[in-house]
Amino acid sequence: MSSSKHDWHRPTFLDPASIENTDTRQGFIPATDIPPDEAEAVDETPETGIPEPKKQKSTWPARALTASLIALLSLAVGAELYRLLDWSFGLHTLLGTAVASLIIVCTGCGLWQLRRSLKGLRQLRHTRDLRTEAQRLSTRNSHGGAAHFLNRLEAHYRDHPQQDSIIQQIHQVDSSYNDAEVIRFLSSHALTKQDKLARACIRKHSLAAGTLVALSPWASFDMLLAGWRNLRMLREIMSIYGVAPGASAQIRLLKQVFHSIAFAGISDLALDAGSTFLGTGLTSGLSSRASQGLGAGLFTARTGLTAMELCRPLPFNVRRNSVMKRLAGELVTQLATGARTSGR
Amino acid sequence: MGLTGHLTSLISDAHKDRLQRVAERTFEQHLNLAVTGLSGSGKTVFITALVHHLLQLDQDNSLPLLEAAAEKRLLGCRPIDAPGTRPFPFKGNLAALSASEPHWPRSTRDLSQIRLAIRYRRSTSIKRLLGEWGTVYLNIIDYPGEWLLDLPMLQQDFLSWSQQQTNLLQASPRVEAAAQWLKANRAIDWHAPANLAQLNQLGLEFRDLLQSFREPPHALSMLQPGHLLLSEASSPEQDLLLFPLTAEVSNETGTPEGSALAEMTRRYRSYCERWVRPFYTEHFSRFDRQIILTDCLKTLNQGEACFDDMQLALNTILSSFHYGKNSLFRRLFSPRIDRVLFAATKADHVTANQHANLDRFLELMVHDARKEMRFESVQTRCMALASVRSTQAAQARKDGQLLSCLKGYRKETGEPVALFPGEIPTELPRAEDWHQDRFRFIDFAPRALPRSGLKPEHHIRLDQALEYLTGDLFR
Repeated sequence: MSSSKHDWHRPTFLDPASIENTDTRQGFIPATDIPPDEAEAVDETPETGIPEPKKQKSTWPARALTASLIALLSLAVGAELYRLLDWSFGLHTLLGTAVASLIIVCTGCGLWQLRRSLKGLRQLRHTRDLRTEAQRLSTRNSHGGAAHFLNRLEAHYRDHPQQDSIIQQIHQVDSSYNDAEVIRFLSSHALTKQDKLARACIRKHSLAAGTLVALSPWASFDMLLAGWRNLRMLREIMSIYGVAPGASAQIRLLKQVFHSIAFAGISDLALDAGSTFLGTGLTSGLSSRASQGLGAGLFTARTGLTAMELCRPLPFNVRRNSVMKRLAGELVTQLATGARTSGR
Repeated sequence: MGLTGHLTSLISDAHKDRLQRVAERTFEQHLNLAVTGLSGSGKTVFITALVHHLLQLDQDNSLPLLEAAAEKRLLGCRPIDAPGTRPFPFKGNLAALSASEPHWPRSTRDLSQIRLAIRYRRSTSIKRLLGEWGTVYLNIIDYPGEWLLDLPMLQQDFLSWSQQQTNLLQASPRVEAAAQWLKANRAIDWHAPANLAQLNQLGLEFRDLLQSFREPPHALSMLQPGHLLLSEASSPEQDLLLFPLTAEVSNETGTPEGSALAEMTRRYRSYCERWVRPFYTEHFSRFDRQIILTDCLKTLNQGEACFDDMQLALNTILSSFHYGKNSLFRRLFSPRIDRVLFAATKADHVTANQHANLDRFLELMVHDARKEMRFESVQTRCMALASVRSTQAAQARKDGQLLSCLKGYRKETGEPVALFPGEIPTELPRAEDWHQDRFRFIDFAPRALPRSGLKPEHHIRLDQALEYLTGDLFR
C-alpha cells in the first residue's frame, strides 16, 4: 500500500451544524441507515449458517395431476350446481331463490375462510423467513445489516393486538449494537409478554392432557384426547403470536411441528424424556396409567414448545431442558396427588 | 486461658485470615473482579459507571443484555463496607460525570475498594431449594495503573531488571530523550563507595524522564518503577529513587559492602518489599475474574512506537497473574483467574460500524497473552466497550457520499465537534502503514450521566461485559 493511494478514508472534521442527527432517541431506523458501500461489504461475506435444505420442487407430472384434478372437480361441482339451480328454478321460483341464496352464502363463507387460512399461511411463511434472517444475522458481528430486518419485523407486527409494546421494544434497539446483538436484544425483550402467555398455555394444556390420559379408561381414547388438546393448544399459541389461526395454517404448523420433532432426532427426544424422567426421580411411585399420562403431558409440552419456536420470528434462546424439567415435576406431583385422592 | 483460646493462639494471624476467607467462600458467592489496565485506560470511569448502573438496577432497565436483568431476576444492589481499605470515591466520581458541565474523573493516585451486594432470584426450581434469593458479593478495587507495571519486578532481581530497562532505554524512541541521563549513568563507578547525593540526583532525573515519556508525543506505557513515576514530592523517600544501571558490570568480584551497586540492590529489594509485594499479596493474588481495559485508540493516534510499547507493557503485566481452571478446591485455597475479558475502551470514540474492527484490532494486540491463557483453558474474549458514552451517532454527506460520523464535545475546550475519526485497521499496521493522516481520534468530554433514569444508550456493551464476567453467578 503506497501512502499516496490508500484504501482507507482520511479522518475529517465536519461542521456540527450541517449534519443530520441520527441519535437513537429519534427513532431507530435513521441511526442504522447504511452507507451504500457498507451494505455491499456485508453481502460479500460468505454465508456461515447452515443453509436451509432446498425445498423439493414437485415434478411436472405431479403438478399436471393436481391442476387437472382441480379443474375436473371444479368443473364437476360447477356442472352439478348449475343443474341444481336449473332444476330448482324449474320447480318453483321461490325454491330457486332459496337454493341460489344458499349457494351464495356458502361461497361467501368459503371464500372468507380461504382468505383467513391463506393469511395464516402467509404469516407462518413470513415468520419462517424472518427467523431464517434472524438466525443468519445472529452469527454476524457486522453492523447495519439488521436495519432491513427491523423494518420487516415492525411490518410483521403492525396488526398485532400488542403491537405497541413490541414496536416500542424494536425502537429501543441501540444504535451501537451490531447485528448479532440486535437479535439477542430483541429475542429476549420484544416478545416477553407473548412468551409468558404461551408458556402458561403450554403448561395448562400439558397438565390437562396428562391428567385426562391418566384418568381415561380406554387406551384408544387417549390418543384422541391428546390430539384434541394439542390442536387446541396450537390454535391458542398461534393467536398469542398473532398468526391467524385458520385451519390450513394450523395443519401447516402441525406438520412443521411433527417435522421438527421427527428431525430433531430421536436421540434428542430420548435425551429430553430420559433426563426429565430421571431428573424427577418420582416416576417409580406412579402407576402405569399415570406414567402414560406423564408421557402424554410431556409430549404435549414438547409439541407446544416447538410450536412456540415456529411461531416466533426470533430465535428462541431459553434453555428448553429447564422448561421441560419444571413441567415434568409439576405433572408428576399432580398425577400422584390425583391418583391418591381418587383412591386408585 | 480456655481451650478455645489455646487453639486460637496456635493459629497465626495470617492463617486466621486465610481460614476466614475459606469459610466465606464456601457459603457465599464472592467475586473478586480485577479491573486491570494501564494508566489512562479508563479503569475509574469503568468502575464508576458499572457501580452506578448496578445501583440503579431496581429502577432502570439500563443493562438489557445482562441475562438476569432481562429476566427481571435482579432484585437490587447496595454497597457494603469494605473494611481495611480506603472506600472508592464513587460519589465524587459520579458527581464529576453527572455535573452540568461533566468532566472525566481525575486519574487515580491511590488504592481504593468498593464492595457490592447484589441480590438475585435463582433461575431454576432445583436451585431454589437453596433459597429463592441468592446474594453475590462483588469486590472491585481501583488503583493507579502505573502500579501494575511494578508487579513483574517481583520476579526479577536488580541486575536483570537493569538489563531489561537498558535495552529499552537504548532503543528509539527513548534513547533520544535519555541520552544525557544515560551518559551520567554510565559515568558512575558501581564498585566504588556509594555517593548518595549523586545517586539521588540521578534518581530524580530518572523520574522526570519517566514522566516526560508518559506524556505525548511519546505516550509510552512500559514505565517502571510506577511508584517513582507517581511520586510528586521534590525529595521523595530515598528507597523510592530507584533507577537501572546501564553500564556493563561484572559481578564476578561480588558486590563490595557500601558500594553504589550494593546500595541500588538494597533499594530495589526494599522497593519490592515495601510497595509492590503488599499490593500483590493483598489484592492481586486472589482474583477470580479479570477485565483488561486497553486504550487502542491512543496507540493508533501516537504511532508505531507507542503501539509496540503498549503491547510489551500488556504482555508483561499479564505474566504476573495466575490463570487456570478454578476448581472448587482451588476456589477455596488458591483462587485463580478463570475468565478474562479484554476490552477496548472508548468504543464511543469511533463510529459504530468500526466496533467489529476495534474488537479485531484488540485481538491482534493481545494475541500472545491470549494464547497462553487459552493453553491454561481460561476463557477469554475481546470486546469494544464504552463505560460512559460521550458521543452521538450522526451522519454527514461528503463528496456525495453518506459518511457515518460522531458528534460530541472536545475534552479540552468543550466546543462541539463533529468528526469522522478514521477506520480501525483489521491487521496490525506495518511500518509503512503508520500514515500521518490516517487516524484522528480526539478525546471527547463526557455527556452528562443522569443520576437516575439510566438507559442502555448511556453506555456501550457494559451489560455484555458484566454478563460475560459475572453472568454464571446469577443462574
